[in-house]
Amino acid sequence: MFWEVTLALLKGFGTAAELFGLTLVFALPLGLLIAFGSMSKWRPFRFLLNAKKKAEWKKRLAGFRPIKLIVDVIVWIIRGTPLMLQLMIIYFGPGLVWDNNIWGSSTGGRMTATVIAFVINYACYFSVIYRGGIEGVPQGQREAGEVLGMTRAQIFTKITFLQTVKRIVPPMSNEIITLVKDTSLARIIAVTELIKSSEPFMRINGLIWPLFYTGVFYLIFVGALTLLFNFIERKLSYFK
Amino acid sequence: MAVLEVQNIEKNFGKTRVLRDISFELEQGQTLAIIGSSGSGKTTLLRCLNFLEEPDGGRIVVNGETLFDAADPATRREKEVRKKRLHFGMVFQAFNLFPQYTALKNVMLASELLAKELPNYKANKKEILANIEREAQALLEKMGLADRASHYPHQLSGGQQQRVAIARAMALKPDIMCFDEPTSALDPELTGEVLRVIRGLAEQKTTMIIVTHEMAFARDVADQVIFMDDGVIVEHGPARQVIEDPQEERTQRFLARSREGGGSPSPVRG
Ligand SMILES: Nc1ncnc2c1ncn2[C@@H]1O[C@H](COP(=O)(O)OP(=O)(O)O)[C@@H](O)[C@H]1O
Ligand SMILES: [Mg+2]
Repeated sequence: MFWEVTLALLKGFGTAAELFGLTLVFALPLGLLIAFGSMSKWRPFRFLLNAKKKAEWKKRLAGFRPIKLIVDVIVWIIRGTPLMLQLMIIYFGPGLVWDNNIWGSSTGGRMTATVIAFVINYACYFSVIYRGGIEGVPQGQREAGEVLGMTRAQIFTKITFLQTVKRIVPPMSNEIITLVKDTSLARIIAVTELIKSSEPFMRINGLIWPLFYTGVFYLIFVGALTLLFNFIERKLSYFK
Repeated sequence: MAVLEVQNIEKNFGKTRVLRDISFELEQGQTLAIIGSSGSGKTTLLRCLNFLEEPDGGRIVVNGETLFDAADPATRREKEVRKKRLHFGMVFQAFNLFPQYTALKNVMLASELLAKELPNYKANKKEILANIEREAQALLEKMGLADRASHYPHQLSGGQQQRVAIARAMALKPDIMCFDEPTSALDPELTGEVLRVIRGLAEQKTTMIIVTHEMAFARDVADQVIFMDDGVIVEHGPARQVIEDPQEERTQRFLARSREGGGSPSPVRG
């Protein structure tokens, strides 16, 4: 029995790890893009300030930053609703609205839908972390680079990048550890991740220990990640 | 001929007129102190000189070359600003050292990056970098920090950090060094070591503009003093005269207030 459970859980773990890995691969860069969007200073109506008479509505419109607004609203919606709900909407939505289940009924289709939901969700969370990290680097650092004749690229690579990474690592490690546990949400659309793999042993065989055994898988995964993040934090602790 | 000519600089932030018709000249090897109460525009003026702010009007001329002319769009092009600002060195109130680099690397970094643009960089890389390091070491030594070269900023006291920042700005051999209240962020017992270093630079005829609240220091070290109030130059003259015998009523009131406040004009240590 033990080996049977182990084999099933290993398979479930493989699925969870795949979801975890794919989410990171796509959400980490997408999050950066969203972060830039939410810091966008593009003001298409800025020319209104050149007018002689500056009415209040003109000033308002001149300060309007459309990209930032759109991105902020999206991030608010994604962070303000449960991932499980988003997953269900993405998976069942197309079938219900257009009568066209684009995901098919295969395991692969369900996995794709899950990855997309996870990537969108986590990219939004990551974007807030990136933004905090980028904006947390004092303006004086950039200015010190500027007055020393550095280019924007040099200021980024030589000065602000590492300081941003240092600021990002602790909140990022929290979020990534949450992601490990969030992979269990995929079972809502019948993706056989860890918990769903252990369920039959409880339901059919009436066993409790496979559930604890499942917990051990999470603990080992999270433990390994914690060690990794501690290592990175230690590597970056030579400066403040 | 003056090293620096500042002509009719204007700067507005929205509706606030922060600098109005600022004009002065600075001779080679001279030290100019700028005094004035908080909010009078001193920092903004230094930031304009360092191209951290773009003035709305006026001209900035260094060694006869017009670096900035509000009326001539060609001088405002982003691409050239990088080279132009190298005429000025800037020391910030908050030091702004790069925390991830040692004191030595803080001083060398900009020189190393600029060296990459030299045509003969590839061929003489080793020699060029060794030279940069030697000069940086010498500068730190001059700042009394020879034994702190391999320390990171967070391992240094505020006074030491500010001296590294001075070395960093000097490393590019600017024509004019600018200091924005270099001791304001320091504990009182640490201001002396920084002022001493700046005094040393003045004695070696470094051309400098120093924004400061240390009236005795301005009087003893500067050649000229400018008193600014509300974005205008109220009084400009020889240091001793402006501090000890100000002609304008506003200057007199400011100096009286600063005497009450900090008990300032006491002789500078060192
Ligand atoms: N970036 C800015 N935006 C708007 N107002 C500013 C900005 N920087 C400075 N000011 C204003 O300009 C005035 C002069 O500021 P500053 O040059 O810092 O004075 P000082 O250095 O003499 O204390 C102040 O009223 C300040 O509030
Ligand atoms: Mg200031």
